[in-house]
Amino acid sequence: MRVLGVLALALALSTGAASARPSADPGISASEIVIGGTVPLSGIAASYASVGRGAEAYFKYVNARGGVNRRKITYKYVDDQYNPAQTVQAVRQLVQQDRVFAIFNSLGTEHNLSVRSFLNATKVPQLFVGSGATTFGRDYKRYPYTIGFLPSYIGEGKVYARQILKTKPNAKIAVLVQNDDYGKDLLAGFKAGLGAKRKNLVAEQSYDALSTDVSSQIARLRSSRATVLLLITTPPFAIRGLVAANRLGWRPQVYVNQVGSATNIMRIISATANPRIIEGAITLISIKDPLMPRFKNDAGMKLYRTIMRQQLPRGDVNDGFHVYSMAVAYTFVEALKKAGRSPTRASLVRAVANLNLRNNPFLLPGVVVKTSSTDHFPLDQGQLQRWSKNQWNPLGKIVSAKP
Amino acid sequence: MTAFRYALRVFGFVLFVAIVVYLPFRISDFRASEFALIGIYFIAILGLNVLTGYTGVISLGHGAFMALGAYTTAILVADHGMRDLWTIPLAGLLAAAAGAAFGLPALRLSGPYLALTTFGVAVATPIVIKKFDGLTGGSGGINLFEAEGITGLPEFIVTLPGGKVLSFNDWLYYLAWTIALVLFAVAWAIHHSHFGRSLRAIRDNEIAAAASGVWLASHKTLAFSISAFYAGVAGSLLAIWAFSVQPGAFPVDRSIALLVGLAVGGLGSLAPLAAGAAFLVFLPQLAQGISKAPGVPAVIYGAVLIALMIVLPMGVGGLLRWITGPLTSRLYPRS
Repeated sequence: MRVLGVLALALALSTGAASARPSADPGISASEIVIGGTVPLSGIAASYASVGRGAEAYFKYVNARGGVNRRKITYKYVDDQYNPAQTVQAVRQLVQQDRVFAIFNSLGTEHNLSVRSFLNATKVPQLFVGSGATTFGRDYKRYPYTIGFLPSYIGEGKVYARQILKTKPNAKIAVLVQNDDYGKDLLAGFKAGLGAKRKNLVAEQSYDALSTDVSSQIARLRSSRATVLLLITTPPFAIRGLVAANRLGWRPQVYVNQVGSATNIMRIISATANPRIIEGAITLISIKDPLMPRFKNDAGMKLYRTIMRQQLPRGDVNDGFHVYSMAVAYTFVEALKKAGRSPTRASLVRAVANLNLRNNPFLLPGVVVKTSSTDHFPLDQGQLQRWSKNQWNPLGKIVSAKP
Repeated sequence: MTAFRYALRVFGFVLFVAIVVYLPFRISDFRASEFALIGIYFIAILGLNVLTGYTGVISLGHGAFMALGAYTTAILVADHGMRDLWTIPLAGLLAAAAGAAFGLPALRLSGPYLALTTFGVAVATPIVIKKFDGLTGGSGGINLFEAEGITGLPEFIVTLPGGKVLSFNDWLYYLAWTIALVLFAVAWAIHHSHFGRSLRAIRDNEIAAAASGVWLASHKTLAFSISAFYAGVAGSLLAIWAFSVQPGAFPVDRSIALLVGLAVGGLGSLAPLAAGAAFLVFLPQLAQGISKAPGVPAVIYGAVLIALMIVLPMGVGGLLRWITGPLTSRLYPRS
């Protein structure tokens, strides 16, 4: 009797579950595919809003030319104020109310972590996460619906370590690092890259993303007598750190991570601190920078400027986040083309894990977006750049930034 | 007359409960999750009301007590395998203890000095959480989704005899609002008790209250502690609601938002505070719906808040008192 009762209950529950699930995946029709994501549009990180707007502009451009398989792409990006609790609410709204097909291009490490389990449990793709935290590419077996985009921070840290070992194998190194998962990840990669030479890393100072000043950290780093300074910082702290170093008269060999090294940021440092402090600075980039003179007549950057003019006339053309977001949007469109004429969430996730794109117009020439069933790091290449004459100049070939 | 007023109150409460029970049958699955969030903010604002509305002590740091409650639940559920429900009272008690511990020294200060002290706590909270990353998971926080002690996962679906499907969002809704209603009743009891009157006496004039035999320190500390209990329970529910906690979820804005919700609901009111909680959840969405241009949502939010404070200086509660005043206090001279 009890067995019967349990069976009846199980049946009731399973029919309940079955009736709640529609036959086709939500968010897609013959004429439209709706995707969503979270981006900070207000609050401390509102400058990242370009990451949503640029992608939207690219989709509008694609839609104006007929969409993908005659489907228009609607991209709903919602403000999460860079607060992970708001991300949870916004993503639930996108999935349960707006019934989006996939979550795309959401920004921030903690923010994407806060919804990763939910999205994988409900089998909603979480595509091209706007974070280089290694877990988004590494842990695909546990979270098959999630994939990152940026080169992993660990891989980036290793590239800097290799370059320092090659050029100044015995230099003392100081690091300024943001005390969150992003900073820890990149620093871990850097230490791994140093290997036996880890003792060269003589000083390490961290700051909190909510703080406003890093001059005491810089003073301590300077007192370590290091001659190389690695900045694992976002743009505002790259500026503050180097302004403080300049005030102390410190002239280390500067390394700036990709997150904080856009040309417009470097020019602010040059103007507010001293051009000499960043002369010869080194960074790794994968995405074309709108202020690089060598891309003035580049076809990809011409396309970029056309899209900006047509779809986002009030946006700042020199803002590198716009190029970044178009690179992501381009990758999404290519993946969608590969997901079949009637894509499902599962077929899109399969397509995303089977990319080999050699000509993303917004990435540096030679950078390939490649994924496979065992490689969930779409972008794991970049090129070192050296700052001189007020601009970034390529330094060597395209290198691997695999974690 | 008093009997009439009493009956009106009971009727109002029953109506409130009826609305809360019935609402999920009328709204979509996702809205249930939003209304659950309103219930959670309602609890936190009810608590802040005990401190700020009755006692007149302004706290800019209640987000810190929410964080404490949230992390208590997250650590107990994720690392010690406890069922989420049992951690809710524990989170409240721990926050109450922290509130008392903080209240004892802090209450030697008064007015803006105390407000600034609480503000300092709110500013330090996310950084302190990151500092103890062995316990708190650092900036990535703690994920509760895969913990066994979580009751309502997305697979949670129950079909009621009437055909209504209860989802995990409905579960979160009923959980938050059941607790909210209980704590609402407690707040109501405090409001009408000797203790509540003493607190209001402190707010109106500390010297007069002390002269009438109210022991300021103990009353203020207890008010602080009760208020922190509410915040801790709200924080615990927030962790269960979001399946996760991160330090980034408790910025200074969170503490200030609670104060905004309290002012919109009406300082010293009870049920209208739910309107303040709804304001916190819905206004940012409305502002975004109007325009997503840079800075515009924030300006709309600010403008609506200013307009509201000009039109309704006593909040929604003041408006309701103004409407129902002639009904309930006809025979008494209006002050």
